Amino acid sequence: MSELTPKLIGARVQRREDQRLLTGQGTYVDDHHPSGLLHAAFLRSSYAHARIAHLDVAPARALTGVVAVLTGTDLASLVKPVRAGSKTRDYKETSIPPLAVDKVRYVGEAVAVVVAESRYLAEDALEQISVDYDPLLVVADAEEARRSDTTLVHDEAGSNVLLSRQFAQGEVDTAIETAAVRVRERFRFHRHAAVCMENRGCVAEYQTGTGFLTLRSATQCPGLLRDVLADLLDLPEHCVRVVANDVGGGFGAKSSLYQEELTLCAVTRLLGRPVKWISDRREDHMTSTQAWDEVVEAELALRADGTIVGLRAEVTSDIGAYSIYPWTATVEPVQVISFLPGAYRVPHYRGRTQGVATCKAPTGPYRGVGRPITSFVMEGLMDRAARRLGKDPVELRLQNYIRPEDFPYKTPSGIVWDEASLIECMEKVRAALDYEETRRWQRQVQAEGRWIGIGFATYIELTGIGSAIPVSPGMPISTGTEAAFLRVDPSGTITATFSVAPQGQGHETALAQVVADALGVTFDAVRVVCGDTAVAPHGTGTYASRSAVLAGGAAILAGQALRDKALRIAGHLMETNPADLALQGGYVVVRDKPGRSMPFREVAKAAYGGLRRLPKDMEPGLEVTRFYDPYYGTASSATHVAVVEVDRETCAVKVLRYIVVEDCGRVINPLIVEGQVRGGVAQGIGAALYEEVVYDENGQLLTGSLMDYLVPTAAELLPIEVHHVETPSPSTVGGFRGMGEGGTIGAPAALANAVSDALSPLGIEINELPITPNRLFRLIREASKGKEKI
Amino acid sequence: MKEQRHIRLIINGETRSGQVEPRKLLVDFLREDLGLTGTHVGCEHGICGACTILVNGEAARSCLMLAVQADGAELRTVEGLAGKDGLHPLQNAFREHHGLQCGFCTPGMLMTAYDLLQANPTPTEEEIRAGLSAVLCRCTGYHGIVQAVQAAAERIQATK
Amino acid sequence: MKPPAFTYHDPTSLEEALELLRRYGEDAKVLAGGQSLMPLLNFRLSSPPVLIDLNRIAALAYIRQEDGQLRIGAMTRQRTIEFSALVRGRLPLLYEATTLIGHLPIRTRGTIGGSLSHADPAAEYPAVAVALEAELVLQNASSTRVLRAEEFFVTYLTTALAPDEIVVEVRFPLSVSTSGWAFAEFAQRHGDFALAGVAAVLDANGEQCRLARLAAAGVGPTPIRLRTIEHMLEQNGLTEQSIDAAAEKAAELVEPDQDLHASADYRCHLVRVLTRRALRQAAARSREKQQ
Repeated sequence: MSELTPKLIGARVQRREDQRLLTGQGTYVDDHHPSGLLHAAFLRSSYAHARIAHLDVAPARALTGVVAVLTGTDLASLVKPVRAGSKTRDYKETSIPPLAVDKVRYVGEAVAVVVAESRYLAEDALEQISVDYDPLLVVADAEEARRSDTTLVHDEAGSNVLLSRQFAQGEVDTAIETAAVRVRERFRFHRHAAVCMENRGCVAEYQTGTGFLTLRSATQCPGLLRDVLADLLDLPEHCVRVVANDVGGGFGAKSSLYQEELTLCAVTRLLGRPVKWISDRREDHMTSTQAWDEVVEAELALRADGTIVGLRAEVTSDIGAYSIYPWTATVEPVQVISFLPGAYRVPHYRGRTQGVATCKAPTGPYRGVGRPITSFVMEGLMDRAARRLGKDPVELRLQNYIRPEDFPYKTPSGIVWDEASLIECMEKVRAALDYEETRRWQRQVQAEGRWIGIGFATYIELTGIGSAIPVSPGMPISTGTEAAFLRVDPSGTITATFSVAPQGQGHETALAQVVADALGVTFDAVRVVCGDTAVAPHGTGTYASRSAVLAGGAAILAGQALRDKALRIAGHLMETNPADLALQGGYVVVRDKPGRSMPFREVAKAAYGGLRRLPKDMEPGLEVTRFYDPYYGTASSATHVAVVEVDRETCAVKVLRYIVVEDCGRVINPLIVEGQVRGGVAQGIGAALYEEVVYDENGQLLTGSLMDYLVPTAAELLPIEVHHVETPSPSTVGGFRGMGEGGTIGAPAALANAVSDALSPLGIEINELPITPNRLFRLIREASKGKEKI
Repeated sequence: MKEQRHIRLIINGETRSGQVEPRKLLVDFLREDLGLTGTHVGCEHGICGACTILVNGEAARSCLMLAVQADGAELRTVEGLAGKDGLHPLQNAFREHHGLQCGFCTPGMLMTAYDLLQANPTPTEEEIRAGLSAVLCRCTGYHGIVQAVQAAAERIQATK
Repeated sequence: MKPPAFTYHDPTSLEEALELLRRYGEDAKVLAGGQSLMPLLNFRLSSPPVLIDLNRIAALAYIRQEDGQLRIGAMTRQRTIEFSALVRGRLPLLYEATTLIGHLPIRTRGTIGGSLSHADPAAEYPAVAVALEAELVLQNASSTRVLRAEEFFVTYLTTALAPDEIVVEVRFPLSVSTSGWAFAEFAQRHGDFALAGVAAVLDANGEQCRLARLAAAGVGPTPIRLRTIEHMLEQNGLTEQSIDAAAEKAAELVEPDQDLHASADYRCHLVRVLTRRALRQAAARSREKQQ
């Protein structure tokens, strides 16, 4: 990284994406209207668990304007079964049919697809399909499902426990049982939904003449989809293209292979016409992968002086009806136990987890994956310990953080943290909050009868993972590589193509900044193209806080390689030793000779101008592809603090102040980083106070619309103060650490701790999220029995 | 039941017409028949606000209107927000303050903010947040959006 | 989620609309602002063979002061009511309640007749209509009748409207001058349907209460008129203790349901809290007016 003199990296560059998005010129998947387009609608089960006794689609087929109706049996003959495999030892592999064949396993599971001239007609046709179900017993609760031998979601698995895993280090039971201080709690983090503003959708187009299939999808992972679809459809991979243009949010819920995508590819191939399906909001609530839904029984043990000696936990994770491809049902439950020790030195540890199938929509990766729960648990235990010990929660954390001299630090699950400025972030938070003053103010207003609380949360997250560590333990594909393909045109403009696929993260701007700096040209000279497998080198997509590290790293490597070649060409043209040349701001300059320079476009022209203009034995052209695998990955971290007030009358929680001090390594664009932090915190506040996916005991989804699933609005949120600590990563090209998920990792924990702090006079410690006013009312009433009436 | 009606309306200053089934939603007419895909469908039950446009100068949810109801009306969508001299102050402010990430809610947010400032040209932060609660954004946490609307309000007032 | 097909009529006169209703009866659904009906159509929770759209009947949108009443045409937009100086001056409770309905873009289209006819007990207008003792004028092709608001609301989403009738006008009496008013509600998010709400008007003179009218929203199948509390206040005045006692009593007068967002207990508790808040604010406004 020797010659990288940052000019654009670190700058608050306004986003290039905004011009089209602000003027209604974006291209989301529903904006595509190829000629001859047909529209699909899915018939979905209204039962959570049932055998399909009878399915007659003939009346639907007969409607004018209906071109085809297919069932699970039809699809089974067109595509291979989808099975998400994992090397995890105690994992039972199961199938996901694109359309249900014998039975349905959750409300909303698709059983048939209608293809018609319009979505309106397709929905009319759905009503003509005659379907009868034989209901089966529903397992809607993970505890119940775990115990059941007879009501199995997947008969082939022989059990509803689809996976178990354990990480252990030291002698945790002895350590805990002999410890001076023990804090124990049962934590419950309810089910959550991503709720992207753009619903899922795709347009599949198979051209019979060329045998070429194009899938446009609102997906985070075009590369991943292309690889698996070619296999499942038995198409040569070079005949498959997956494109994600503008995607309206993803947050993990658009990162797996969905049944609808596979179905539409099969249908277009059958019909030889393009077919579109756009999820409506009801379908989104019923079928997009959901998140979290865990019970964690955890115990933390400390010495009398507050030093942690041990931590053990039992995790039960409700993974819903299917193990999704490619992440599998392990992704959420295993990450909880992998990361439970958090940012602390925990010498003795055991984390055990089970993923239990129930008759609900499948869970999948969602912003933070597992770590919002680990923070809620560990940060909650730390605050409980602090209260028991009579210690300040900040002091207890500072005492137990992984220390600078401990890095690189190997955690009990084998993950290595390369480096983190934990102490610095916490000190900065303390200063930004003016902690002492805020505590003083808190005591004053508490005496006046107000319930004010302060809650902290520190986390450290694994980001920018390379091939040594699978994003989901044991999963079959590698997510450790990305590439950058840079092509210079004869006029000197550069197209930088990546296979990451943003859904709002600003890659077109951030990666242009990186390429421009690495090469030595202006921001405007670089155009970034993402998300199209036809033009991008192999990769998977945008997820898991990896793009800055992997795509950014590849961009630097490619940019530097291009620059080296450009300088050799320039040296030839300027009759100067390339070692005396530099490329800056689009000009080749001679070191120590400020008068001599050559515009980059002259170099570009020469590169394509034939051998007479190039150095001897140089291949013409100016383009390069570089792949980057950081191998292990790196760590980002942050400390959050929330100041809240609990309304004594309505029991509503109001967030008064929220501060984040985060370290994501070298920052490419602070505007974008701050946006990611604030967006993540907003989702975390939603998760802590408002949002819950609720199924009843029959597996019926009660929160099936935006009326009942409460995403916070501008009126519920507040300005979020963000400060940066920049500790460049020693492990990655560029020093980037990757970020984006921290908001949801830190916020629920900070808010739970703040509410517990506010209600500590009543002895209430929050162990269940979300903390709705209804829930708080019940807790406060129970705690107040015999005390003063509220 | 296959009745079609002829409708004629003014949209972004231009007269347009079409043939629609009465049940066709206004948002679908805009997107499919008129090719104006800037207005987005987010929920079809009037909560997310992504489909918000101006109907006779006032913000309304186009997913809760039938296209036939817009016959004879004057509509404005995000494609008509910029003027001949360039982007509207709201659009510029959104870009300056990072008021968008994925952009899906943005058209609805802009048109709602436009109407908000029309009804209340000098709103407080609280009033802005209350007014913008009409549109859901999942990406930004509204931080940049609120700042953008404040900045745009000031800029618009300054040019008066 | 696209609406099912229907036969569509958009009459331009009330007579035409009522004739259509007479003809189609229960096969027809009436479309006013659409903010409640369109979601039902889009979800296909409602599949009426016929849709009668009232939005082209200009004659049904007006706000007039007549015969000691404020008379508002059923198709008057909530937004129009919100920005009406007449409403703000003469019926400030109606104004305040209007600002709490959803969001401005919803109020652009939503109508007073539509909201009342939809009869969601958690909505603002039904509670205000009951508290202000409004009258609703119902009409069909052959006759007109007037019902008091309390008679109009029967149960959840159900009114006394016959299949061939619509609300054409809402009448708010101005005969009783009220010096204080308040609408207090609690919703988890700004603009949501309230978990509970209380509408209050008072005619007060210092701590003396000449007249009190209160109605609760969201805590029963219809808005609940809180007569017992009205009598308590008219007897005991507007002291701190009297207001507190009234608030306690209010919680006993309602029998709310439990749902996803709130238990019955919590709703009762909210009624207590909101009654107190509404009364305090109404009393404060009343004192201000007297100064």
